[in-house]
Amino acid sequence: MKEYEGKMRLVIKHYPYKYRDFSHIAAEASMAALDQGKFCEMHDLLLERSPRLDKESLVKYAEELGLDRARFREALDRMKHSALIERDKKLAVDLDLYNTPTFFFNGRKVIGNRPYEYLKRIIEEELKNGKR
Amino acid sequence: MVKDENMNNVVSSLILVPIISELRGFARSISNYHCLNCVQKNRSNTTSSISNHYCLILFFTFLLILGFTISASAGHLEPFKAVPVPEKNPQTPEKIELGKKLFFDRRLSGDGTMSCATCHMPELAFTDGQDISMSYPTTRNWRNAQTLINVAFQKFLFHDGRVRTLEDQALFPLMSAFEMNQNLDFVEEEISQVPEYVKSFRKVFNGEVTRERIAMAIASFERTLISVNSPLDRHLKGDNSALSSDAKKGMDVFVGKGKCLECHHGVNLADNKFYALHVPENPALLNDPRVTATVRFVAKVYHYGDYRKLNEDPGRYLITKEKKDWKAFRTPTLRDIAKTGPYMHNGVFSTIEEVIDFFNRGGGKGNTVLKSLGLSSEEKRVLKVFLQEALSGEDIRITYPEIP
Repeated sequence: MKEYEGKMRLVIKHYPYKYRDFSHIAAEASMAALDQGKFCEMHDLLLERSPRLDKESLVKYAEELGLDRARFREALDRMKHSALIERDKKLAVDLDLYNTPTFFFNGRKVIGNRPYEYLKRIIEEELKNGKR
Repeated sequence: MVKDENMNNVVSSLILVPIISELRGFARSISNYHCLNCVQKNRSNTTSSISNHYCLILFFTFLLILGFTISASAGHLEPFKAVPVPEKNPQTPEKIELGKKLFFDRRLSGDGTMSCATCHMPELAFTDGQDISMSYPTTRNWRNAQTLINVAFQKFLFHDGRVRTLEDQALFPLMSAFEMNQNLDFVEEEISQVPEYVKSFRKVFNGEVTRERIAMAIASFERTLISVNSPLDRHLKGDNSALSSDAKKGMDVFVGKGKCLECHHGVNLADNKFYALHVPENPALLNDPRVTATVRFVAKVYHYGDYRKLNEDPGRYLITKEKKDWKAFRTPTLRDIAKTGPYMHNGVFSTIEEVIDFFNRGGGKGNTVLKSLGLSSEEKRVLKVFLQEALSGEDIRITYPEIP
């Protein structure tokens, strides 16, 4: 995103894996961190610490990032962002998506985790095409 | 240069034309090489003015002067003609259509997230475009997903050649814990709960859903994925304008100094053999406990004694337990190579240039199969042009089926 600042916009949708115990609450944790302005930091930490994503661990990660612990925990307890996450999941199902991550570059679908150079090539092509 | 114990018996019949070409300043065109009939025909024409005796003297003289290792290619280039189909599984339109549905059906994976097409996407020449193939959620694969284009021509399947037919191959990824992680007893029952499938199996096989029939249908579909009408095919059929000037020069390198033809010949540009080229390890696989789990899992399945200490891919050794097969992998097809990167069994090379450089420097450290080729920058460039331009067949257009 830094490399293409001002040239592209990133929209993230949640699609927690249905057979993982903590994937939904991890999505909640990322949104609770977003409430306090640290979505990306939490996102990266969740990937780094996976699969240790139980609630107590998530609260510790929030503390590591300097978030307000009580506020963060309350968001998790209330499942504050559940409706949004469920809406994203429905969108993914409606689009017949089944693998995370799945990227769309101006509608061009790329399935699976890819090296940066692979994604960069597609970004460059899309920027060159000038489509929106 | 590949050492091959089977080569010696063909040397005497094929070596004359190359040697004469050497004498004439390396023949400008290698179109003479493209099929055995042409080679033999050319041989008789050419030798009409030079006695066989004289040729043999020259031949041995050249061996002495240049210190050649006797190793000639038994192979030749062939245009696409027909797809081999086993008698036990004849192609029918209904079976192909059923196989196509199953190929794209995510019911075939344990968690319903993966179909065969997840790693063999039509848009990516039936690969997944990754160095290491995609894997079942939470696990990690260890090898590159090969293209399915022309898979019908392979006499061995998988990088390690563990099976010999597509029918035997199809169920392996379904069962594999790090691929589709499905249970075959379960999937038979799951598919049997879909009325449309039950009807199709009855029509196609006159019977119930079984794992063997699932595999037969998928294999039939896969036999339709064929690279046709590439510039090479057209050239070999006599169209002199099919290849660009650079591609023709690249073909010279391919069959000559580059020695590619020694292993990449026949209609599928592959010799169905296994070689330990000592391809560098893919750094992405190192120090990943998920990969180690995969390596040891496969080794355990194949009764590798000390699997708990294994940290690398033993290649075909896992199957044969023969020392010569340690880290040996099957020669892949070069058809549509421009679309099927990354390359090698572990996807360690992203580009064709990297692959050419690897072979040009004589393969990986310590290998006894390859020798450095000494290709110039220009030779490498035209070889790449040949690989990219000449070997690309028509795009295979797939209409996605409606999954019942």
